[in-house]
Amino acid sequence: MINAAPSDQPTPLFALRGICRTYGEGQTAVRALIDVNLDISGGELIVLLGPSGSGKSTLLNILGGLDRPSEGAIQFRGAALTGLSEQALTRYRRQHVGFIFQFYNLIPSLTARENVELVGEITDDPLDAAEALELVGLGQRLDHFPSQLSGGEQQRVAVARAIAKRPAVLLCDEPTGALDVKTGVRVLEALQEVNQRYGSTTLIVTHNGDVARMGARVIRFGDGRVRSVETNTARVQPSDLVW
Amino acid sequence: MRALDKKLFRDVWRMRVHALGVALVLACGLSVMVMAVGMRGSMERTRAAYYAERHMADVAVSAVRAPERIAELLEEAPGVETIETRVSGVALLDLPGVSEPPSARLVSLPIEGRPRVNDLTLARGRWPDPARANEVLLSQAFAEANNLVLNDRLDATLHGRRQTLRIVGIANSPEFVFVAAPGELFRQAKRFGVIWMNREALARAYDLDGAFNDAVLLLGRNANQAETIAAIDRILEPYGGIGAYGRDRMVSDRFLSEELRQLSTMAIFLPALFLITAAFLVNIALGRVIATERSNIGLLKAFGYSNAAVAWHYAKSALIFAAIGAFIGSAAGIALGRSVAELYRDYYHFPSLEFSASPATFIGAWAAGFAAALTGCIFSVLKAARLSPAEALTPPRPTTFFSAGPTLSRFEASLDAKSRIIMRRIVRFPRRAGTTALGVAFAIALLVVARTMPAEMDYLLDVNFGVANRQDVSLTFTEARDSTVLHQVERLPGVVYAEPFRLDDVILRHNGRTVHEAVFGVPEHARLSQIVGRGQRVMAAPATGIALARALAQKLGAQLGDEIRLEQTRGRRIATSVRVTAIVEPMIGSSAYMEIAALSRLMREPGRISGAHLRMDTSRYDAFNREIKEIPGIAGVSFVGQAEASMRSEFEQGIGVMNFIYAAFAAIMAGGVAFSAARITLAEQERDLATLRVLGFTRLEVSYILVGELMALALIAIPAGLALGTFLSIWLMQLFQTDMYAFPFVFNPAGYAFAVAFTLGCVGAAAMVVRAGIDKLDMIAVLKARD
Repeated sequence: MINAAPSDQPTPLFALRGICRTYGEGQTAVRALIDVNLDISGGELIVLLGPSGSGKSTLLNILGGLDRPSEGAIQFRGAALTGLSEQALTRYRRQHVGFIFQFYNLIPSLTARENVELVGEITDDPLDAAEALELVGLGQRLDHFPSQLSGGEQQRVAVARAIAKRPAVLLCDEPTGALDVKTGVRVLEALQEVNQRYGSTTLIVTHNGDVARMGARVIRFGDGRVRSVETNTARVQPSDLVW
Repeated sequence: MRALDKKLFRDVWRMRVHALGVALVLACGLSVMVMAVGMRGSMERTRAAYYAERHMADVAVSAVRAPERIAELLEEAPGVETIETRVSGVALLDLPGVSEPPSARLVSLPIEGRPRVNDLTLARGRWPDPARANEVLLSQAFAEANNLVLNDRLDATLHGRRQTLRIVGIANSPEFVFVAAPGELFRQAKRFGVIWMNREALARAYDLDGAFNDAVLLLGRNANQAETIAAIDRILEPYGGIGAYGRDRMVSDRFLSEELRQLSTMAIFLPALFLITAAFLVNIALGRVIATERSNIGLLKAFGYSNAAVAWHYAKSALIFAAIGAFIGSAAGIALGRSVAELYRDYYHFPSLEFSASPATFIGAWAAGFAAALTGCIFSVLKAARLSPAEALTPPRPTTFFSAGPTLSRFEASLDAKSRIIMRRIVRFPRRAGTTALGVAFAIALLVVARTMPAEMDYLLDVNFGVANRQDVSLTFTEARDSTVLHQVERLPGVVYAEPFRLDDVILRHNGRTVHEAVFGVPEHARLSQIVGRGQRVMAAPATGIALARALAQKLGAQLGDEIRLEQTRGRRIATSVRVTAIVEPMIGSSAYMEIAALSRLMREPGRISGAHLRMDTSRYDAFNREIKEIPGIAGVSFVGQAEASMRSEFEQGIGVMNFIYAAFAAIMAGGVAFSAARITLAEQERDLATLRVLGFTRLEVSYILVGELMALALIAIPAGLALGTFLSIWLMQLFQTDMYAFPFVFNPAGYAFAVAFTLGCVGAAAMVVRAGIDKLDMIAVLKARD
């Protein structure tokens, strides 16, 4: 078992103990996560690295309240996340979690601004949509529909949408997976900007080792287990990343 | 089986819910089509066979008294093949245990053998013995309605003389398939029947020994009916001939023809609505299939399948939907037809009426089903055919949305994001939105029609019995009598008020047109039998001139102020001219009206009346009925209040069944359309809806987008459905309109409210069923998946 390095803060944002996730039963059972123990502090930018099927996305889903561990316990700000009802998990996502997907998942019938405002409608103190889009460099494209935006632009709208609710945690699943380097870098810059400005704990799932260089910590996955947790002492700016 | 066909069947199986929706909607329409077309054919064939077998008369004529030798002259008239002279009359009956005396038409049987024209079918018993004057045959409907069986006796007042008759047989005649009392437009099997009896006995009763007052004739194949009628009229004129007429004026045949016409209307109206809806459903379903099958289409073409082969592959799935629908529709149509045939058989007493739909009917129904399916899939299939393989193999571009125009934008700005999603999808896919809305509108329209028709019928009865015929009882004398008889009538037990009326059969002529009708003479300010004018307002009988029912005025081409010709067909045969001083709007019948004294003067019979309408103290009916049976010279007693009650109850039963059928049809239509639309909306938006769930939207909030879109379309459909329903109701009423009935359009708010509420309920239910899919959305898959 590899334990994550303890964070500086006394109460971590997330505390994971003995997390396992198994899909299916009997001979066809697939163990996606095996005995993961991890503490994640507020404001951290963590990169989860590993090949396909290594368990990193499963962990992200569990942290986002989309999936439940088969075994183990998770605490969010000291309160149990495991065992919450479906409604409570929805409430948790609504209040605290921002998601960014590989394929942007914007609502095609809403403009950039409206996609961001959509989240504002279910949050108490949202960021102004224009301000959020300005932050990701899309102040000029507020009223464009997704079909009128490039992939990078769409992903940046997704970033703006995710941060509009000032989430405690930002979960990004292969955010640059469908983008070329140049646009990918712009998206990562936006993520870093948000992380620094709003202090949202940011977890980026990727299989791209280069992206890991921007993370404060890098957690490597393999075969459902945490293989290593490294603190990055020489973080690089996204603009300096090349892949 | 070819691989492509295997794919086809698997695709259809995958789409089975849509397929079933399309098939059920088609089946509704085609079942009605098979039933109505088949029933029409069956009825026509049955009628033709019945008429041919029993020698149904081509022409009939009545006279006052014609010597029997005249029959030979008539037989020699041009075109006449066979003639049967008869004695005929109307008698009041006294049935044991029946308080209100019913009446019957009496028709003589030939002295020897069976009638050569209008022959009878014996349902039970035997023919009367010519040697026994009191043996009679009774019409089956009347016998059954009054529980009369063989060997029962009944008393009849024949021409003022009371006789006891014995039933030896129960019979039916092509002449009396539909039987209504003289002057009545509704059938009351219990109140009016037909009695056939020996000629000599009847002739004796009516003082017509060696004479006849009624003749029925068969014409030769090449006869010119108009010419024959003119010849007969010339021959019978000296004997009080009332004017010969063809089948078009024979009440029974006219009703049957009317029934057939209504079946034809039904064969078109309902199926049309359902076929159009089915076409729309196919359009929605196939559109979606081809959108999701894009890459498969590319693959098939890349393998070398031709555009036509690909198009045919997808068209076949629509044809399979149609075949399922046509199969269910045909089976349901046969079942429906059989039960309707049973109803008709009981009602009309045809010797045999089996429902059978010709192969052409089924071919027509299947062809209509296939045509609807092909029409529905044509756009999608052509799209599949046109798709280039290279383009088809690349992922589709994201759906393009545009900003709405300035007006809509302002409205959009006032909406929340979820409502905006709904609205933009409707605006972005107007054809599909329109299709769904139209399907829902059709369901609303169907229910509006179903609820308006009874309201119209109700209104017709309300006006007929509440305004036009307010009497409790109508007495008709065997011949016009002096008005002093009214005092005797007033003295009958229970009579509160008696109002005289006069009735003259006349020929009206104008502008070269001729119409046989009745002129009613009523008191200027009648209290019971009132004349109904425009807007169903009561009008005074014109003190001078004549008032014509609108339908009659139209037939004559007469307008207000025109002078028309009036010829009495009985009695003195007065012929005179009279000015049209009013056009009136009775909803039942198309008679003419005059002030009673004016009519009597015109017919040079001042002070003579044909009968009286009575307002009764209903608690004294029994005493009244006892006395009325003893009074000679009364041809008929019509209990209007009872007629109304029985008509309304018969009518309400029919309405109950009709409402159920229409509600079921509307539910299938609205439910089918909404279900189909909801499933496609869910399939298309699955990713968006799951994204919203991931972002923290609750199930309820996400469901709103799915259910809200459908409900929004249903709301759009409401005004369209109500307008379409109103239009169809008016159109149908015009189709059903005859000279006997004129239906006004009646706005029935409760019916409209029901149509809307029921349809919204069906749409809501369909949406809720599909909504369950939101609970099963795979949020994790969404994170990874791309359309």
